Amino acid sequence: MMSEIKIGLEIHCQLTYLQSKLFCSCYCDYRFKIPNSNVCPVCSGLPGTLPLLNQNALEHAGLLSIALGCNVPNEIVFYRKNYFYLDLPKNFQLTQYNAYGITSIGVNGKLEFEADTKRHARIRRIQIEEDPGRLVYENNTVDNSFYTLIDYNRAGVPLVEIVTEPDFTTPKEVRIFLNKITSIIEHLRICDTRLEGAVRCDVNVSIGEGKRVEIKNIGSFKEVEKALSYEITRQKTMSFHEIEIKAETRHWDDARKITKQARVKETEEDYRYFPDPDIPTVVLDNAFLLTLKRNMPELPDERKRRFIAHYELSDHISQVLIDNKELSDFFESAVNIYPSPKAIANWIVSDLIKFINGDNHSQPQSNDQGGTFHSGLKIEAKHIAELAQLVDQNIINRNTAKGFLNQIIKTGEMPSQLVKKTNTSKIDDKNMILEAIETVFRSEKSAVNDARQNSKAINFLLGRIMQLTKGKVDPKIALDLIKKKLIESS
Amino acid sequence: MISKDEIKHLGWLSRLELTEEEISKYAFQIKEIVGYLDKLDSISLTEIEPVRSKKKISELRKDHVKPFTGDALEGSKNRKDGFIKGPRLI
Amino acid sequence: MVNLCSLTAEQIVKGIINGDFSAEEYISQILERIEKIDDKINAFIIVDSSGALEKARIIDKKVRNGEDEKDIGALAGVAVGIKDNICTRGLRTTCASKMLQDYVPPYDATVVKKLKDNGAIIVGKLNLDEFAMGSTTEFSMYGSTHNPWNIGYVPGGSSGGSAASVAASECALSLGSDTGGSVRCPASFCSIVGLKPTYGRVSRFGLISYANSLEQVGPMGKTVSDIVMVMNSISGMDNNDQTTLDSETPRYALRPKGNIRVGLLKELVEGAEPEISKCIYSAMDLFSKLDCKCQETSMKSIEYALASYYTIAMAESSSNLARYDNIRYGFDLSPDSYEWNAYFAKVRSNFGEEVKRRIIAGSYVLSSGYYGKYYLKAQKVRAMLKQEISLLLKTFDVLIGPTMPVLPFKVSEKIDDPLKMYMIDIDTVIANLTGIPAISVPAGFGKNLPIGLQIMAGEFQEQILFDAASLFESAANVHRSPEL
Repeated sequence: MMSEIKIGLEIHCQLTYLQSKLFCSCYCDYRFKIPNSNVCPVCSGLPGTLPLLNQNALEHAGLLSIALGCNVPNEIVFYRKNYFYLDLPKNFQLTQYNAYGITSIGVNGKLEFEADTKRHARIRRIQIEEDPGRLVYENNTVDNSFYTLIDYNRAGVPLVEIVTEPDFTTPKEVRIFLNKITSIIEHLRICDTRLEGAVRCDVNVSIGEGKRVEIKNIGSFKEVEKALSYEITRQKTMSFHEIEIKAETRHWDDARKITKQARVKETEEDYRYFPDPDIPTVVLDNAFLLTLKRNMPELPDERKRRFIAHYELSDHISQVLIDNKELSDFFESAVNIYPSPKAIANWIVSDLIKFINGDNHSQPQSNDQGGTFHSGLKIEAKHIAELAQLVDQNIINRNTAKGFLNQIIKTGEMPSQLVKKTNTSKIDDKNMILEAIETVFRSEKSAVNDARQNSKAINFLLGRIMQLTKGKVDPKIALDLIKKKLIESS
Repeated sequence: MISKDEIKHLGWLSRLELTEEEISKYAFQIKEIVGYLDKLDSISLTEIEPVRSKKKISELRKDHVKPFTGDALEGSKNRKDGFIKGPRLI
Repeated sequence: MVNLCSLTAEQIVKGIINGDFSAEEYISQILERIEKIDDKINAFIIVDSSGALEKARIIDKKVRNGEDEKDIGALAGVAVGIKDNICTRGLRTTCASKMLQDYVPPYDATVVKKLKDNGAIIVGKLNLDEFAMGSTTEFSMYGSTHNPWNIGYVPGGSSGGSAASVAASECALSLGSDTGGSVRCPASFCSIVGLKPTYGRVSRFGLISYANSLEQVGPMGKTVSDIVMVMNSISGMDNNDQTTLDSETPRYALRPKGNIRVGLLKELVEGAEPEISKCIYSAMDLFSKLDCKCQETSMKSIEYALASYYTIAMAESSSNLARYDNIRYGFDLSPDSYEWNAYFAKVRSNFGEEVKRRIIAGSYVLSSGYYGKYYLKAQKVRAMLKQEISLLLKTFDVLIGPTMPVLPFKVSEKIDDPLKMYMIDIDTVIANLTGIPAISVPAGFGKNLPIGLQIMAGEFQEQILFDAASLFESAANVHRSPEL
C-alpha cells in the first residue's frame, strides 16, 4: 500500500537588512548585545506604548511576496495573536491573519523547483510579524532552573513567515526547495541567511490517513531534512504496528537526532485574534506595487537563464552557481575582471567549491559584496580571474594552477606572485624546447623512427620531453614542435 | 450558557486565579452581561463594513534607528546580569 | 490674601506674567489646599510637592528675567493634575491598581510633555477607577473619590479624581481619559467642563490602554476657555501614535457666537431622570434665545450603542491588560521557584473585581467562534452609528443632550449591579464609538446635584463645539464652586 506522505513548511525569515525593528526605532540588529540593552519602552511592552509600523518592512516583505508569485492585497491589517509566554512582552504577538478576509502581505503563490522531476509547491500565505524575546536558562537546561532569564533585545525584530501547502512528498524535495528559497531571499537582499537564527523552518508531516504532526525547534535549514527523515520513519513504524498517530506538536532534539513530544503544552490554544486597533490599515496602492516590481532584483531563475544565454554556461553549472548567491556574485565579479566565463565557472564549480565550508551557519561576519567567503577563505574574485588569465596565456598550465589554488586559499597571494615565487613560468622559449627535443631525439632514435609511422609513439617522445623539462613545458607546443621536427627530419 | 466551567476556562485563558466564590459570582454576572450584548443579534448588518483608519505606506514610520536613551527596564526589580528574571518553565 | 486656588488657568497665566503674584505663591496655596481638603475628597493618589515648587521657582525666575511670554509658556505656572493612567516620567503611575503599584515610567506621555513644555506645573496624579474601568471612581485600590458638591456621593468616573480636584479648586486644570464617557461623566457630576476630543486629535502615547480604538485623553477645567487653552497645547500629530491625524493642527479660539444649528437627541433626553430632562429642555430654550436654530431630532441606532461599546471595550481591554504579569513592572513578589503559569495566575488575581469581570467577558466575546457574533458585529454597529450621525451632522452643526441619564448617586449605591452601572454610560458612548468630539458643560442642578449638558459636533470640528459651548456657558452662567 502506497502511503501518501504530505509535508508542509512554515518558514520564518528575519528581515535583517532593515535598520530598525518592526514597531519601534531600536536597532534591528540585536546579536551579541548585552541583555536588554537593545530595547525601548515600545518593544519591552511598557504600559502606554504604541506600535509604530516600519514602512520599509512592508517593502521587503512585498518583494518576497511578488517573488513567490503571491497576490498582494489592496489593504493589509495587523492582528493580535493573544497568548501568554515569558518571551512575549505584551502577552500577544502582532502578526497577520486571514480568517476574516485576506489581509496578509501575500497569498496563493507558487514556487517551482526541480527534484528528480519538475515540481512546484503552493504558497498558502506570507505574513509579517514580530519576533519575541529570547529565553535563557540557568545551566542552559530548562530542568532544574529556579527561574528563567529573559532578554528582550530580539523582541520586535521583523519577520516574514512563509506557509506552504503540504505539497512536498520527500525530505529531499524539501531540502531542494529550502535551498531555492534561501537563494531567492539572498537575491532579494531582504535577509542575510548566514546569520544565526535568521531563517528557521518548522514542518508538518502526515502519512496517508494519519493525523498531522508538527515539528518545531529545528535549529537550521540543514537539520530539516534529517528531522523529516526521522519523523517519517517514526510514523511509518507506528503505522506498521497499527499504532494511531496523534495530531501533536513535537520538538526536534538536535543532540539526539530525534523528535520528541513537546514538553510544554502547545495544544490548540484559543488565540482570540482581532485586528490591532493601534495600527492603521495600510493601503497598498498601484504606485507601491509598481515600485516593488521596478525594484525587483534579478531572481535566481532569471539569473540562471542569463548565465546560459549570455555566458553560454551549461544548465548544470549555472544551477550550481545560482543556488548560492555568493558564488554567482563571485563568478560575475571574476568575469568582470577577466572575461572568460566558461573557464572561470569551471574553476569555481569543479575546484573552488570543494574548499567552501558547506555549513551556512558558521561565524557570522559583516556582509561583503563580491568575493570574500564567510568561511574564512582568503580567495577573492581577482584571484580566480588572474588564474584563468594566466592559464589562457599559457604562462602556467592547468595542473600548476590547481596547485596554486590550494596556496591562494590559505595565503591570499595573487597567482602572478606565486608564479614569480616558484619560477614556474612555462618554458615557452621555443629554443629551449627545441633543445630539449634535440636531446631526446638523439637518445631515443628507435622511438623517433616509430613515431614517424605510429602516432602513439609520439606520445612517448612527448613524455620524455616532459620528464626532461620537469613538466614545465607546455605539452601542446612541444607536441607541435615534435611533429614539425619529425616531418623535417624524415 | 455561561457555566462555571466556562468561567474557569476563560480564567485560564486570561491567567486569572479565581476562587470558587469568584467563579460562581462571575458566572452569574457575565451571563447577564453577555445576555445584554446579545442585543447585537437583533440587527443584521451584512452590508456594512467596519470602519478602519487607513494610512498609505508613505505615512508610516521611516526605517531610521533612534535608540532609547537610558534603561527602559530600569524599574524592574528582578534582574540578573542584565536579564529579567522570570518564573521557571515547567 | 487673595484666594489664588479658585482662579481659572487663563487668570493664573495672566497674573503670573503680569507679576500680580508669583508661581511659587500660587502653587504653595494649591498645595496647602490639597493638604487641607483632600482627606475628604480623596482625589489625589500622589502629590508631588517638591517637584511642583521647583517648577514654580523656575517659572518665576523666567518672569523676573523678563523672558518672552512664548518662552515662559502658554500655561505658565498653572497647577495641573494628571489622571493616574497617564505616564509621568519619574513619578509613580499606578492606574489605581496593585498590578502597577510600584511602576515609575521612564518616559512622559506626549500630552504630559506638551503641558510641561508650555510651562504647566504638574502637582500630582489623580484617582480613577482601576485601569479606567468604571463610572464612579469606586473601583480604585486607593478608595473612592468623593463628589465635592456632596461628600458621600460619587464624583463620576473613571476620571473622578480629575473632576473632583478641579471642582474643589485643588488644581486649575486636569487631564482625564475618556473611553466611554470617563471625562464627560465626572465633569457632569462635578459641574465642570470636560472634553473628549475627536479620536486621533490628541496623542495616546503614554495613555495606558484600556480600549484603544475608543479612548482619548481629555482636558478638564472650570471654563470652556481653559479647555481651549489646553487643547492648543496638547493637540496635534504625534510620531509616537500612528492613530493621530496627520495634518496641521488648527489653533482653537474662543468665539462665542450664535447662528448654530442645534439638534436635540430625543432618545437621550427621554431616557433621563426628570430633573435632567427639564434642565436640558431649558438649555434648548436658551440656545433658541441666542439666535440658534433648535430642533428635536432622533437617532434610531442608539439602542445598540451600549452593547456595541461594551463588546468592543471589554474585548480590547482583555488583550491590553495581558501584559500585566508582574515580570517587568508591578509589585513585590519574587518569581523564584514559581512555575510560570502559576505565577501569572497568582499575580493577576490582584486585579480588582471590575477589571477581572471585563477581562473574562472580553475573552469570552473574542473566543473561538464568537468573533463574528460579538466583536465584528459590534464594529459593524459602530459603522452604522457613524453613518447615522454623519447624516445628522449635515443638518445640524451640533447635537445636544444630557451627559448623564442620572443625577450623581451615593457611594456604593450601584456597585453590586454591574449591568446597572454600565447603563449610565448610554449617553456618552456614542461619541466614543463614532470618534466625534463631545464636551460636557455645567447646565444646572437637580436636587442640589450637578447636571451637565453634552454637546457633540462632527469629526475634527472642535472649533464649532467650542463656539456652541462657550455661547451656552456665558448665557447659562452656572455656579461653579462647591462650598469646601
